[in-house]
Amino acid sequence: MASSEQIAAQILNTKSLAVSQNWLNTFLTTSNSAQRNLPASALTKTALFRVLASDFRESLSTSPSSILPVDIFDPTVQERRIQGPVPVQVLDIEDIGTSLWSQVEAIERVERGEAIRGREVVRTIPMGDDNEGADNGNGRTNNPAAPNASGSSGYGPHRLIIQDAAGTKTVAFEMKSIEGISLEKLSIGAKLVLRNATVARGMVLLNPGCATLLGGKIDALDRPWKQDRKKRLLERISTLQVVGAVQLCLANNNAHWATLNCYF
Amino acid sequence: MARKILCVAEKPAIARAVATHMSGGSFQTHAIRGNQYVKNYEFEFNFGAPWGNCSVTMTSVIGHLTGLDFERQYKGWLSCPPGSLFEAPVKEEVDKDKLPIAENIRNQARYSKALFIWTDCDREGEHIGSEVRNQAKTSNSRIEVRRARFSNTERAHVLQAAREPVELDEFQANAVAARIELDLRIGAAFTRLQTLQLQAVSEILKEKVISYGSCQFPTLGFVVDRYLRVQNFKPETFWGIKLMLQREGKKVNFLWKRVHLFDRAAVIMMLERCLLAKKAKVTKVNQKPKSKWRPLPLTTVDLQMMGSRFLRLDSQTIMKVAETLYTKGFISYPRTETDQFDKAIDLKKLVEKQYPDNRWGQYARELIDGKFRTPRSGSHNDKAHPPIHPVSWVNPSQLNENEKKVYEFVTRRFLACCSDDAKGKGTEIEILYGEEMFHANGLIVLEKNYLEVYVYDKWESSQQLPNFEKDEMFEPTEANISEGKTTAPGYLTEPELIGLMDANGIGTDATMAEHIAKIKEREYVVVNKRGSGRSKIEELIPTRLGIALVEGYDNVVAGLPNSISLSKPFLRKEMELRMLEICAGSKTRQEVVQQSLDMYREVFIHTQRRIAMLKTACRKYLVEQA
Repeated sequence: MASSEQIAAQILNTKSLAVSQNWLNTFLTTSNSAQRNLPASALTKTALFRVLASDFRESLSTSPSSILPVDIFDPTVQERRIQGPVPVQVLDIEDIGTSLWSQVEAIERVERGEAIRGREVVRTIPMGDDNEGADNGNGRTNNPAAPNASGSSGYGPHRLIIQDAAGTKTVAFEMKSIEGISLEKLSIGAKLVLRNATVARGMVLLNPGCATLLGGKIDALDRPWKQDRKKRLLERISTLQVVGAVQLCLANNNAHWATLNCYF
Repeated sequence: MARKILCVAEKPAIARAVATHMSGGSFQTHAIRGNQYVKNYEFEFNFGAPWGNCSVTMTSVIGHLTGLDFERQYKGWLSCPPGSLFEAPVKEEVDKDKLPIAENIRNQARYSKALFIWTDCDREGEHIGSEVRNQAKTSNSRIEVRRARFSNTERAHVLQAAREPVELDEFQANAVAARIELDLRIGAAFTRLQTLQLQAVSEILKEKVISYGSCQFPTLGFVVDRYLRVQNFKPETFWGIKLMLQREGKKVNFLWKRVHLFDRAAVIMMLERCLLAKKAKVTKVNQKPKSKWRPLPLTTVDLQMMGSRFLRLDSQTIMKVAETLYTKGFISYPRTETDQFDKAIDLKKLVEKQYPDNRWGQYARELIDGKFRTPRSGSHNDKAHPPIHPVSWVNPSQLNENEKKVYEFVTRRFLACCSDDAKGKGTEIEILYGEEMFHANGLIVLEKNYLEVYVYDKWESSQQLPNFEKDEMFEPTEANISEGKTTAPGYLTEPELIGLMDANGIGTDATMAEHIAKIKEREYVVVNKRGSGRSKIEELIPTRLGIALVEGYDNVVAGLPNSISLSKPFLRKEMELRMLEICAGSKTRQEVVQQSLDMYREVFIHTQRRIAMLKTACRKYLVEQA
């Protein structure tokens, strides 16, 4: 049987994740005897899978180099660099290349079981099929013409809210498209590792060179996020009609505008 | 005595045109009793083997001879529960006003050796042909039946069609018969149900027939869907980066590759990073030949869409005018899905016929003198008709205003098809500024080619770009944030609606215009005119009743698994696909009628059970919001 040290070392080497001893011990004591008799590599795989499905705040140990600066969101800092590697988890994802309203329309099309193919309206629920799942939003993805339940075409770029193992949150922005970052593919709680990333005005600039996507999700966050997505979009649209600007992510952005206004 | 052959066309004008060509212009005209439009034309014609020289009577019907209706005891609105109309016995009878025409055919058939069907070569024509045959057979059961295959009334084409007849296509005739029965049963059942139920809801509906048609409702559905999208629309602000460079006395505006984003903070951050970089680098300088493709050969749907866009005529008017031009022998049959010319057609000869025209005659001459190009081929071929094209030249003074417009469009389109693509030179500059990419495009039109005759397309040179070298660095003159708002889509226009109907299998190219006219006539939609002159737009807006019906039917099936609202195109599309199966011979008429009735019967039962939903929707829009 593999020791917790072996597993930790393996995960650290391959994924740059420093798994906490406490968490690993709990993992090992709660895994059943069949699992404990697995070869070390298989057990490590299981452990990694659990880590990716966990909350990093509970499963990782922290060191000064593996967490974000606590003032990372400070918009007065024009540019700084994070050496890392810093493991983070995704708490929110938004497509900022597409208007909120067209995202709502897309979700409603999916709710009606339709998809648009050019000018053609396509029905995505197979007819005459007594599939009970047809009205809960599942069981539709078997049709290749059907968009995913998020109803987005996924143009991007995407804006994420990320959180490190110490609980510090900030905004990250997908400057160059990263495979796997899309409303369809990325789950809430998915894990990323940042290396040598640039932070500008409090936003982490993501590109394939500095962000490695490990996948995973936190079920307890992902499910309500997906369920309430349309509601959230509608709420944001109605506040937009009043406020007239998107300032939801960084509430303390006013200083940010002030510093930049000198440019224009 | 020479053998006698009876020829029957779909309309009097076609009978006359065909008779003129076959007889070489000398024929005797006889009126028939009881109908002032249909005439019998008598002449001699040599059909070649095996018929040889025959005496011919050329006559016509006026569209369908027979109609399908329920037996008498089911005709009254309150005679039976509407649902029983799905099974109630029906019978086919000669329409009352067509009785003299049917009698004429029976009389003429009695002494004829053969019957040649000259109805239009499409599904509907095949069915009309079968009706004519049935009449002829009642008086002469031994009469031989043939079908002339033709797609225009140009002389040589007509003579060839007369000498090379084919068989009537029973499959197509059966498909039409199935469609007629389905339209009758489904239409009558739903129309009676909703009319009887809804009349009580509002004073406005008291005397009104609220008709249902399986094409009408999805057509209405498209209009309502767009209307609601416009109504519900919420504008949102977006931001972009505007970049301008002044060089060689020209202002070059570069476009941001990201176009715009819906996050102000991110855009400002990006602009700041551009400014920090100070200089932009030219990453690509591309000069390449560009061309604008000449149009594809003209189909009916395209004629209707382009026609309502460029000629400002509604689709039904366009089809009527095109029909007239066809009947008079100026253009080919205007109902076709084919967008490729058969190799056998002598296109150059058709181009030459346009020489006398003082608008495009010179252009036609240039084509023949060396500029002629074989038209592009689209991917559609209905195997019945060529694309719509002019078959002979007509002096504009012989045409009325609308005929002139449509003939001009068809001809210019045809000449454009036979021309070369427009050619030009495109320049594309791409730059990297900070981490952001921008580009500027330039175009110089070198040869207009087809554009000279096809005045409906626009392709113009842009402002010329100054010189750029790859890898050169420059400092942009201005870099700014731009701000804009998303705007609601426009209300549906007729060309858009035709496009939607075509893509979703609602109606055929022959009937789409009628369905649109029908929902206007029923006051489910109204036409709203906006703007003037060239920017005039005609928008389709649903009435309160129109919205109420769509919302009502959507609510009827809401939450029911696998039930489809009648406002959606899916059920009708299914039915249309089954018609094609009859045409292909893979399904029988009876099978298709039964399957399609089952499909609609299910929705009918839901509607009956949840009729309150329909009433509530009508009350909401017609009483509460009135």
